[in-house]
Amino acid sequence: MAQQLAMVIDAAKCIDCKACVAACKVANDVPEDQFRNWIKPTQDVPAPGVLTARAKFQPGACMHCDNPTCVDACPTGATYKDPETGEVVIDDDLCIGCGNCIPACPYHARFRNAAKRKADKCNYCPERRAAGLPPACVDTCPTKARVFGDVNDPESEAGRLYRKNKGRLTRVAARTDTKPNMFYVGDPGDPTWGGEAVVPASMVAMKEAAPLVKGVVALSGLGVLAMLGRQFLAGNDSKEDRDG
Amino acid sequence: MSNPQQTMSRRDFFKASGLVAAGAMGGPALLGGLKKARAAVPAPAWDSKFSACDICFNKCGLIARVEDGVVKKLDPNPKFLKSRGMLCARGNAGIAQVYDPDRLKHPLLRKGARGEGKWQRIPWDEALDMAAQKMEEVRKKHTPCGHLFSAGTDLHSQFVSRFAEVYGSFNVTSHESLCLVSGNRAFLDTYGEVPFADVLNSKYIIMAGANRFEALVTPDSMDLMTAIRDHGCKLVTLDPRYTKTAALSHEWHPIRPGTDMAFMLALAHVIISEKLYDPQWVAEKTYGIELLAEHLGPYTPGFAAEQCGIPAEDIARIARELAAAAPASMVYPGRRTSDYEDSTQIRRSFAIVNALLGNWDKPGGLLAARQVGLTGVPYDAPWYDENRDDRIDAHKVPMMFEHEGSFVVTRDAVLNDDPYPIRGWFVYKTNPMGTAPNRKKTIEMMNRMDFVTVVDIAMSDTAWMADLVLPSQSYLERTDPCSGLQGSVACACVVKRDPVIDPLYESRSLFDIIKGIAGRMELGEYFDFTIEEYRKQQTRDIPEALKVMDRDGVYYNPSKVYGIYDGRIYKTLSKKIELYNQRYLQMGLDPMPVYTEPARTPANQFRLVVGRDALTTQSSTANNSLLREFEPSNTLWLNTRAAEGLGIRDGEKVEVSSSVGRQELAAEVTDRIRPDTVYMLSGFNTLSSMQTRSHNNGASINELLEDDYDAVTGNAAMHTTFVTVTRKVA
Repeated sequence: MAQQLAMVIDAAKCIDCKACVAACKVANDVPEDQFRNWIKPTQDVPAPGVLTARAKFQPGACMHCDNPTCVDACPTGATYKDPETGEVVIDDDLCIGCGNCIPACPYHARFRNAAKRKADKCNYCPERRAAGLPPACVDTCPTKARVFGDVNDPESEAGRLYRKNKGRLTRVAARTDTKPNMFYVGDPGDPTWGGEAVVPASMVAMKEAAPLVKGVVALSGLGVLAMLGRQFLAGNDSKEDRDG
Repeated sequence: MSNPQQTMSRRDFFKASGLVAAGAMGGPALLGGLKKARAAVPAPAWDSKFSACDICFNKCGLIARVEDGVVKKLDPNPKFLKSRGMLCARGNAGIAQVYDPDRLKHPLLRKGARGEGKWQRIPWDEALDMAAQKMEEVRKKHTPCGHLFSAGTDLHSQFVSRFAEVYGSFNVTSHESLCLVSGNRAFLDTYGEVPFADVLNSKYIIMAGANRFEALVTPDSMDLMTAIRDHGCKLVTLDPRYTKTAALSHEWHPIRPGTDMAFMLALAHVIISEKLYDPQWVAEKTYGIELLAEHLGPYTPGFAAEQCGIPAEDIARIARELAAAAPASMVYPGRRTSDYEDSTQIRRSFAIVNALLGNWDKPGGLLAARQVGLTGVPYDAPWYDENRDDRIDAHKVPMMFEHEGSFVVTRDAVLNDDPYPIRGWFVYKTNPMGTAPNRKKTIEMMNRMDFVTVVDIAMSDTAWMADLVLPSQSYLERTDPCSGLQGSVACACVVKRDPVIDPLYESRSLFDIIKGIAGRMELGEYFDFTIEEYRKQQTRDIPEALKVMDRDGVYYNPSKVYGIYDGRIYKTLSKKIELYNQRYLQMGLDPMPVYTEPARTPANQFRLVVGRDALTTQSSTANNSLLREFEPSNTLWLNTRAAEGLGIRDGEKVEVSSSVGRQELAAEVTDRIRPDTVYMLSGFNTLSSMQTRSHNNGASINELLEDDYDAVTGNAAMHTTFVTVTRKVA
């Protein structure tokens, strides 16, 4: 079976310390006020005394979905699902920074990197993995709430957790079901914040016209040049501000 | 499922067609094999070097990833048990401190008026000549005790103490009298030593006056989560704020600030009156149970309920649950205890409940210090006949820790020349201007000084008010002595630091700076060694430690964890755990904690409380670019109902006034705090404009806090200030 790299997260263990977010920022040189990962806070303050439910802080990032709407939205194929590892990858060489993929992610996991002016999101730290290290957020997490690995490999810690908790794994729902590969053990905390994937109509048409795809792609190539122009015009003002 | 074939074809098309933006933008060559999904990403070309974090005082083991002499990333050392193989947000942000463009770069001499911010760059030789000459002048004129020395928590701080001693001054203050000395005093005077908490194996924990999931990330934080999540431990938190610890607890009781002692005495009352303790253990190990039983008579759950605002039945239930889980249960001892004028007695009540649980030296309870194996490096300081008899803050409080002093008491004494003048001050890596209550008084103290030398990595407010500012090396640039650490049950270990990068700018280590000054004062013989030689002395009983640290970044001493006190006496007057403290009686102190109700909050005012979160180490992180991304400024936590009464909306600017100061900041209207209490983070609104992220940003809590102190230890009492809050009309 092919790999599916994923995170298995125990939200009940998260103390909202932001170590994962800080580690990610440094490891990936993420520009100021931009973030590849997050911890969703709990907002409600319960009545004091015996608390009926302990608060849940929800760590997250790109969920490397099985049905990645960002891939559908990408005009150049820079964003694609790696069939070998299950990762949703951004090929920087191909990305033109058009920004189509940003609203296409119902989890707001993508942003236009202000320095590179290209799409950016969690990539599970491939350089670190090449050095035999876990992704920065996983490595640094104090309570080990984030566990990373191939969930199809029963020997990996992620796979072991995935199997052990199979009956009670949850995912954060979005209005568009992208089949995310971010698995929460039990209650993930707020499960409802996911939005709707907004994929440009031309890209949807292209997907539906699968047999003709190459021809359509050729035509859309012209659009790519236009989008490239848009990137320069869009400038540096993109602020995909997120819960940190 | 996505259709890989389709996406690949689009991707392949662009790769092949050359329509690719990267090509147009001069990016890397386009064509890999079309069939190849992606090229393997190479591992970074970094060197990995061990060190220990320094963004708080916990010294978590880390691995610095260094490329071309630049630290790219700080990772946790997975072999470092004390930190459970983690590095917190602050630890990760250490890189932003080291490479902060606001760092001090070379020696600076004050040119304008004190605090005016006019500086002249001078060479090191001139700076050291001047420091030595000024220190000589002060000593000649005012005796050696006419010079004050202050040092923060740092592995080089021991050299400040040594310098003070060989110079001849008894006047050394640390940061601890603005932090933890009351709690240490209380446990020391109950058990004969300051315990660690075996959170990991505990089944029931009461967290009061501490915020362990949020204020610090230490083994206790991780172990608390493991205990709760995997071992079924119950956590009960008392806090006027809905902290992250409160949020993750099974119970949260927003206790009226300053009434914790009433709660603890009521727990003890229930445990004794319902005979929920092990009578044999208590008879064998403790002193004064009958006296305590009698003393606790009036402290019923009903009494405590009225004081604390927690229902009596909850208090009684918690006492029973706590006792049922004993000895694997505890009142968490906590750390910062600089809150009230009876802080030591408040923490004595914590210590006494623990004693009744019989949890000392047992799994899930309070643990004695383990053997680490380091030894001291002795020296014979010279004697100065013409010196004063004692510290300037001596005899003002009965049970001060001499080696920590009392900053608040010292400051008052300096302002009044009482009993003698102090005119020189040497400060290393501590920032009383930013951490002590009543900032105006610290400014006055500065103005009493003939000459102040500050050694730090940044232009803190204390440096800003100094005469001579010397740039020190950061923790990643220097060689440090060994340090022994214990992390509850995790380990007893030794760490050291070696440089992972070359020193930046003209920075020097504190040791080298002191060596330079001492050498110019004919005190060079006391510093005539290298740090490497010093470490050899420290590790002479564990000679393998240095090599093991080079290999693993840490050396463990596999010493005993539990049962350390089997067959051993307690280091107290009665040689037992002192429920009743006879020494206190002799000194005119209450031998058992007597509850005094804290002042009621005046109408239209709020009690200002101090606290911390996972992204803040007081003023030392205020200018950290990475941490400021999470918290661009500080806010005033103001209860929703209270805000409504004042007509203040969330985010509006408010003016906060106390009897000593006035500050402005944005209100954060929230249900996460009691209606009679307000809170803000410390470290903001620095005077120093060379701290660009904290200068003119938010409010300084130190400007607002009054400077009461704990009557037993002289620890600052930082929860006694009432403030008014008004909407700032734009």
